[in-house]
Amino acid sequence: MVAVVVFAFVVLSALLVASGSNLIMELSGALDALFEASRAPHFVQMHAGEIDRTEIDEWAAANEMVEEQQTMEMVTVDGSALYVGSAETPETNTIMDVSFVSQNPQFDFLLDLDNQVIEVAPGEVAVPIYYRERDGLRLGDTIRVADGGFDRSFRVAAFVRDAQMNPAIVHSKRFLVHEKDLSALHEHFAETEYLIEFRLRDPGQAGAFGEAYASSGLPKKGTSVDRNLFMTLNGLSDGIVAGVVIVLSLLLMVIAILCLRFTILATMEEDVKEIGVMKAIGVGRRDIGRIYLTKYVVIGVVGSTAGYLASLYLNPLLSANVMLYMGQAHKGILGWAVPMLAAGGMGLMVVISCAIILRRLRQITAVEALHSGDLRRPAGHLQVLSLRNSGPFGVNVFLGLRDVLQRYRLFGLLCFVFLFCAFVIIVPVHFLTTIQSPSFISYMGIGQSDMRIDLRQSDDMAQRFERLLAYVESDPDVDKYSPLVTAQFTMVGDDGAEETLSIQTGDFSIFPLDYVEGKAPELRNEMALSSLNAREMDKGVGHRLVLIVDGQKREMRVSGIYQDVTNGGRTAKAVLPYDPEKVLWRAVSLDVTEGSSIDAKVQEYAETFHPARVTDLEGYLSQTLGNTIAQLRKVTVVAVGVGLCVAALITSLFLTMLISKDSSQIAIMRSMGFSLRDIRVQYLSRALLLLGLGIALGTVFSNTLGQRLVSSLWALMGASQIRFVIDPIRAYVLLPSFLMLAVSLTTLLSIRGIKETNIAEMIVE
Amino acid sequence: MNVLLKSRGLNKSFVLGKDNVQRVLKDVDLQIRRGEFVSVMGPSGSGKSTLLYTISGMDRMTSGSVKLDGSELADLSEEALSDLRLTDMGFVFQHIHLLKNLSIFDNVVLPGYLARNGGRKAVNQRATALMEKVGIDELADNDVTQASGGQLQRVGICRALINNPSIVFGDEPTGALNSKAAGEIMDLLADINRSGTTILLVTHNVKVAARTERVLFMLDGRIVAERRLGAYVGNGREGSRREEALSAWLLEQGF
Repeated sequence: MVAVVVFAFVVLSALLVASGSNLIMELSGALDALFEASRAPHFVQMHAGEIDRTEIDEWAAANEMVEEQQTMEMVTVDGSALYVGSAETPETNTIMDVSFVSQNPQFDFLLDLDNQVIEVAPGEVAVPIYYRERDGLRLGDTIRVADGGFDRSFRVAAFVRDAQMNPAIVHSKRFLVHEKDLSALHEHFAETEYLIEFRLRDPGQAGAFGEAYASSGLPKKGTSVDRNLFMTLNGLSDGIVAGVVIVLSLLLMVIAILCLRFTILATMEEDVKEIGVMKAIGVGRRDIGRIYLTKYVVIGVVGSTAGYLASLYLNPLLSANVMLYMGQAHKGILGWAVPMLAAGGMGLMVVISCAIILRRLRQITAVEALHSGDLRRPAGHLQVLSLRNSGPFGVNVFLGLRDVLQRYRLFGLLCFVFLFCAFVIIVPVHFLTTIQSPSFISYMGIGQSDMRIDLRQSDDMAQRFERLLAYVESDPDVDKYSPLVTAQFTMVGDDGAEETLSIQTGDFSIFPLDYVEGKAPELRNEMALSSLNAREMDKGVGHRLVLIVDGQKREMRVSGIYQDVTNGGRTAKAVLPYDPEKVLWRAVSLDVTEGSSIDAKVQEYAETFHPARVTDLEGYLSQTLGNTIAQLRKVTVVAVGVGLCVAALITSLFLTMLISKDSSQIAIMRSMGFSLRDIRVQYLSRALLLLGLGIALGTVFSNTLGQRLVSSLWALMGASQIRFVIDPIRAYVLLPSFLMLAVSLTTLLSIRGIKETNIAEMIVE
Repeated sequence: MNVLLKSRGLNKSFVLGKDNVQRVLKDVDLQIRRGEFVSVMGPSGSGKSTLLYTISGMDRMTSGSVKLDGSELADLSEEALSDLRLTDMGFVFQHIHLLKNLSIFDNVVLPGYLARNGGRKAVNQRATALMEKVGIDELADNDVTQASGGQLQRVGICRALINNPSIVFGDEPTGALNSKAAGEIMDLLADINRSGTTILLVTHNVKVAARTERVLFMLDGRIVAERRLGAYVGNGREGSRREEALSAWLLEQGF
């Protein structure tokens, strides 16, 4: 039984570590392959407005860093004009910026699912994978663009892998059509945006190149991004999954080793007389050790091999997402060797731990072993816990609890396992609750409001915004509102180099945001930075930086730092006059009065201010984070399953061994008249006390260490200080109940063996 | 005749393997009267201990009948058997078998608390009285590791008596003690018997058996002979005379 459980653990941890490392290998390989096949740009400047291609070409030709340059024109189609698949309603409330493009001639190719450059015929469209996953689109389905007098349907001919815009967290999506169709679309949808793209001779120089571009005077009405950011965004979610899987496998390994230690010591204890005899007749310690070691070497080798082989079946499941979004990379020797070595490492750990534990054989002398027959030290008498003082506890419950306190070293293992299980279950559940809660908006750099209206870049954006504000002002259903304008500013670095910074301006006291440090900007020389921006600029609260405002240098003081996972985590806020020419987005956040329907309001504004993007808070969250939430929900289900299984498995292993270890004491109690039920109650009390302790500690660790762990993962995206939103019913009632049920059932099943205890035989022995 | 324990055609076999069944008890008929002090003797492997554990319900019989105070043990469930052991039977073992992690006092009161026999206070009082009687009251709070073999056997006896059982079974109760301690334990058991408790002992020791009223001799799983010694009063050389007579009888039986 014990050997089976240890074997199961070795298999499981080898399986997970092999799959985790395989996922990392696949991910990095696939990313490289995708970036190579698509010839992803190293630096991209988005620009909404007119451009002068010759000017850009000349500048690029003169710049030594540039290897190639191209400018891609994107026709922006509003969600209200886009019908995906068989949908009868348009994508009015989408938060995605949808653009139609034609294939690039030189680089930044949009690829199909075989990583081949897509060529579409007139009337055909290649659709981002995001929509395939979201709506289950198939080849041959229809994408319809209908707006006013314009109505055209496209047949889906391919799905697009887009090195720049693959992940759901990137709010721009490119649909690929034939040049003729693009011209037709252009005629109707005048709004265009440009991607001014560069491939550099040395991709490592993207940073320096960015600065050079910023100070060049070339078009830059829009954000700029580089290859590193594409890489990070593409790899993030799968990278996190791989990390979690590997951490999980290591934790399982720790449990396996603890079980092994417990098992070997218990077996040695049982065999101590035999060990004594062997030592007495002159069998060496090494030879005795070998008897024990052989078994675990076999378990280590066979277990890790089985785990590795099983990982070959799990790998396609885990890397399905990578395969879909990035494609399959050619697997080099390392791709095979790393998971194999990782699985082998798990087997080796078992053997090494076993060898270390077996050093204890040295400490037993032949005479001691023959005489004592018991490796345990006397348990020690706990005066306070005398049966006389057992208070309201029944005899059986008291005996169970007392035993746990007396043999705390032994029971510590089980408590640790329960702690681990509680942690593994609670952290994902907490995080899922957090990410689903409306307050998660504060990690997106937005104050909490009922709804939000975003205007996109267009020539008449300022006028539309004025009309919107006037409408909001006179709307009796609006409780309060806050206009926010994001514009570009030039920041002058300490070394005099200029850099473009997108800053949101407005009154940030209306819908306040939680600040990690400091507070919202109130004065004209104050500004707040997103935590990723602050980290990259190496600025903290009270630090100064210089902006060019109205053509004048102005020294700004950093008033606060906030978390933001949007726009690659790089945003800023200030109360500043902006240059209308450099406005990127305009938005209004508003709260409706009590009793007004938010849904109806969203509908009303969407219709009145078409093509503005109107979303309620939940809509905004679910569209941005929907994919992440769905993934996380899967992870949570798996984590709860793993936690419950590990708890049950170890309880069963532990109790089976404990029953065998305690058999003589059980026999004594049975001889005295303790019934099987009495003994069951004793073991159940032990298990539940340990579980209670494990859950309590697990909860404390989840709420502290777990929160920090999740924050450190999300810090990569811009939210470094996530505070768990806790659903007390789920976290403190339901999950502990599941664990209790699993442990109680396993306990009762595992101690069925006490029925078979032959009292007479035990007593006579 | 007031019979407390009675077995008829009692059989116990152990299956040692395929086609290898060992019959340890063969059609054993036995009667113990209320208040009697009986010992069972016989060579090793004759089935003495198996008889003790089978008639006390610690081990299930293969066939036959055992009645304690009219209750047929074969008909009782495991729970009911446990309850019977708790309230109506007491056990004294050669290796005492105390619970290692409990204090001496706790070992004594444990069956009393479990049986909820008159409330914990009453159990405590009874335990204190029993421990005073056998002279171990000062050890109450000690660990089981802090007492001699003789003292521990007294603890075992107190534990066996805590629920006022109708019968006490003893399996070589003096087997692990020196002769002085053994003598003291037999004095104690005799006292207990005089106060009305029925006692059935299994022993190798002629000195121990000589203190009982009736000696049964077992050979190859059967009770083959019986010797009545009568009540032991402890006058002058009575002990030696009973031992000599018993030894001579045992020799006749081939022991």
